[in-house]
Amino acid sequence: MHLVIHRAPFLSLLVVAAAALAPRAAAQAVEDQSAPLTERERAVHLLSRFAYGARPGEIDRVLAMGVDAWLDAQFEPAQLADAALQGRLSEFESLKFTAADLEGVYRRPLRPDATDEERREYNRKTRIPRTELLNSVVLRAVASERQLLEVMSDFWRNHLNVSYTKGRQIDTFLTPYERDVVQANALGSFPEMLAASAHHPAMLIYLDNYLSRRPPTNAELNKVKRAAEARTGSRAQAIQAVALAEQNGLNENYARELLELHTLGVDNGYSQRDVVALAEALTGWSFDRGNKCSFRFRNDMHQHGDRRVLGRRFSDNSSDGRNQGEAILAYLGAHKGTAEFIATKLVRYLVNDEPPAALVAEVAKTYARSDGDVRAMLRTIVASEDFWARRNFRAKFKTPWEFVVSALRATGARVDDPEELLRRLTDMGQPLYHCDDPTGWYDTAYAWLDPGVLAQRWQFALDLAEGRIKGVTLPEDLFDDIPEGAPPRSWQVHLTEKVVPGGAGTRTRDALTSLMDEYLVDARVPDLHRVGPQLLGMLIGSPEFQRQ
Amino acid sequence: MTLASSRREFLRRAGITAAAAGIPGALLASRAAAAPPPGARSIVCIYQRGGCDALNLLVPYEDKDYLAARPTLSMQLAGGLVDLDGDFALHPSLRGLMPFWESKQLAPIVCVGSPHPTRSHFAAQDYMEYAALAMPSMRQGWLNRYLAISAGEEKVDFRSMAMQEILPRSLRGDFPVLAVPTKMDNRRGTLTLERFERFYGKDENDGMGGTPEPAGAGAGDAMDVRPDENAAVVMSGKQTLETLKRFQEITSAGRESRVRYPETSFGGRMRSIAKVLKAGVGLEVAGIDYGGWDHHIQEGGVEGDFANKLQDLGGTVAALAEDLGPQLDDVLILVMTEFGRTVRENGNNGTDHGRGGLMLALGGGVRGGQVHGDWRGLKDGVLADGRDLSVTTDFRDVMAACLQGTFDFKPPRDFFPDYKPGKFRLFS
Repeated sequence: MHLVIHRAPFLSLLVVAAAALAPRAAAQAVEDQSAPLTERERAVHLLSRFAYGARPGEIDRVLAMGVDAWLDAQFEPAQLADAALQGRLSEFESLKFTAADLEGVYRRPLRPDATDEERREYNRKTRIPRTELLNSVVLRAVASERQLLEVMSDFWRNHLNVSYTKGRQIDTFLTPYERDVVQANALGSFPEMLAASAHHPAMLIYLDNYLSRRPPTNAELNKVKRAAEARTGSRAQAIQAVALAEQNGLNENYARELLELHTLGVDNGYSQRDVVALAEALTGWSFDRGNKCSFRFRNDMHQHGDRRVLGRRFSDNSSDGRNQGEAILAYLGAHKGTAEFIATKLVRYLVNDEPPAALVAEVAKTYARSDGDVRAMLRTIVASEDFWARRNFRAKFKTPWEFVVSALRATGARVDDPEELLRRLTDMGQPLYHCDDPTGWYDTAYAWLDPGVLAQRWQFALDLAEGRIKGVTLPEDLFDDIPEGAPPRSWQVHLTEKVVPGGAGTRTRDALTSLMDEYLVDARVPDLHRVGPQLLGMLIGSPEFQRQ
Repeated sequence: MTLASSRREFLRRAGITAAAAGIPGALLASRAAAAPPPGARSIVCIYQRGGCDALNLLVPYEDKDYLAARPTLSMQLAGGLVDLDGDFALHPSLRGLMPFWESKQLAPIVCVGSPHPTRSHFAAQDYMEYAALAMPSMRQGWLNRYLAISAGEEKVDFRSMAMQEILPRSLRGDFPVLAVPTKMDNRRGTLTLERFERFYGKDENDGMGGTPEPAGAGAGDAMDVRPDENAAVVMSGKQTLETLKRFQEITSAGRESRVRYPETSFGGRMRSIAKVLKAGVGLEVAGIDYGGWDHHIQEGGVEGDFANKLQDLGGTVAALAEDLGPQLDDVLILVMTEFGRTVRENGNNGTDHGRGGLMLALGGGVRGGQVHGDWRGLKDGVLADGRDLSVTTDFRDVMAACLQGTFDFKPPRDFFPDYKPGKFRLFS
């Protein structure tokens, strides 16, 4: 902070000089393509990949403590003080509850003769867990000191996607899923996270595995028929009931996604027969819909039999078929294909949309060596030359989520009520925890850079800077680090440094200058607090800020 | 393995890399000499997300099995069904479409669907909109493929748009299609666009001008900006500005139509599409989604949620058709969904995911006034898995027919990977 203040008058002089030097500087920029990142750029880079961007003053803090020390601290999130955030999260009571508690507290069934008042209260209460979960995810991403944990949580949230769009039944389970599957393992062991998701009712519901069962026997079908006949007295209805019962059977949905999206990756050495065999092995993986709301293996629904998956034989135990699925899961967690797939996705997320093959191979090796330890893989990435190469500096296009969170951080905004933010994310096409597709949200420019989408970001940028986002407040001292008496033409430099610490190109600088020109024509006494928000909004909507 | 490279691979296999690069050689090969001039004809593609219940949209009201299968959901002529041909009748909410049946411009297509048996919304929509079942890595929608392949050298102003925040999958891909952010359509939105012209508009340099911020943040740091690193974002921003501004110009110019659209979000969005179509700026493909057709519970018959949605959809389509006037002959309105629903109603007065569905084609020169597709009745023996309408027409047959019938564009081999054209005639 101090440095900035002292340097300010000096900077403003340089801006004028820069205009004159521009052509030569451009030539120099091209030559500098291979130049290593400066210390400051390294801090910027790290904070934009291993965190959701820098908050005001954060780059200087990272530089002061050293990039390595910052990383070490991030790798041990539990040791990192985060009291302010924890205080705010403690307001959300539902976050601590098990699924069974959530059902008991927020979903206690109504009596049939409940009054309208009671029904309204019931409806209000059922919405609380979802609101609190979504709010907590936003607050943590914006305000947590444990930024790496948050950045990685979002990665796994998408990798092992579950969604509210599945319908009411899944609601109760997403709070514990986020806490016990995502957060608990985000910097831990991937195979453990995979196993946690496989046993979680949220995943079992989301990908329908809890419905997957062996085909009904003839005896069972006859029983259905007799029961239906007795109930309805109609033969036609009974035949219909049998037809419906015959429909009940194997559901491949989870088995397919487990191979395609969670472990090996699409078309990576498995066949349709592997999908079916895996689905059969996982029949009976269900959950207790009674009091416990937790995983339950139903041996009576399991399709017994030894089977081959991925060329390996997995035997079955007729009295307890659960171990077969467990063994396959463990095998998948240790599979070379899984290591490659996870490594590819991690490098794509943290380094470049086109992941460098050599680095992917390194990370896959680390996976194999460390049994899928996430921290070890992250260390491999951050220790690589690739990660720090200039060509990867600001090479990622921010997803709407990354854009919104980083804008809030860059401005030091306080979020009291994220409702409006969640709506904006929906408008930008990325509603939180509402990704219907099991792929999760994509993290590449390809998925997000449609013509038209930037318009929503621009609107958000201006609204944020002008204080028009409900529930979000910008700090009053936002412009205080610009020294009194600094010439108005230097204001944009200060703000650029704050919002786009990686630096802005001519196009952006010229745009800000022209905005300032227009302002200065009319303004008799230039007022930073009037034009500042305009400059700020433009910077958040600038091409540079769309990248990280 | 990346999406980008698989797309290139697809284009290469289909022999159309040249076209994708903007070279018109392949265009000439695939667009027949008699093809209409670009932009003279159009498709408006409406996607009903959630799996619309075909059987209650186009009702086989004479079929006893229909009545038996749907104790609470079935409808009859006496209840207001709109008879078409003695076998099928339109849902009462679709009465507004009847004039177009009579003028032989409305063509329902029964039992159309996917060769893939999935009943997952996600997978079924994916398969249908990318229309590349044999190539799961394909991430360029079927309509975008058409746009990319047929793109000529002549700059056409406004070939395609989706009237919603994010493109439907059918329009995603290499060819830039504008997703119109509907909430920007106001004064504040216009001001925002004007403001950002400074960043993204104007100069011809396309964001290539990157000079370093010499002072940057650290004393003496060379904060360079690589020449091309903003290019993709700036390009997208430019396209956003140009097309959105053009869109606003087009939609604010000209007389307001006297045709009454439903006072709904869908009706309003369709009115905008009509304006662009009528402005004659070369719009070939417009996409728009209508969500909420997943009626597992409380679907209703003559009244209820399904009926209300149909009222909105049908009223909007009828308004568009009327609004277009004689131009309707050049505009194909195509309504599709990922699958139909179970023949029998379930225990919650709803229906579950099925197989064969329904498409509606209106205008654009279709052979209307007749029901297309192969209808095999509702007997247990002919139902798919004993519960759903069988798929007797591959959705790709319809897509191919629409591209050919509308644009005289014959999809090249592998346009739909691993697809063998079936016998299906929708246009005369």
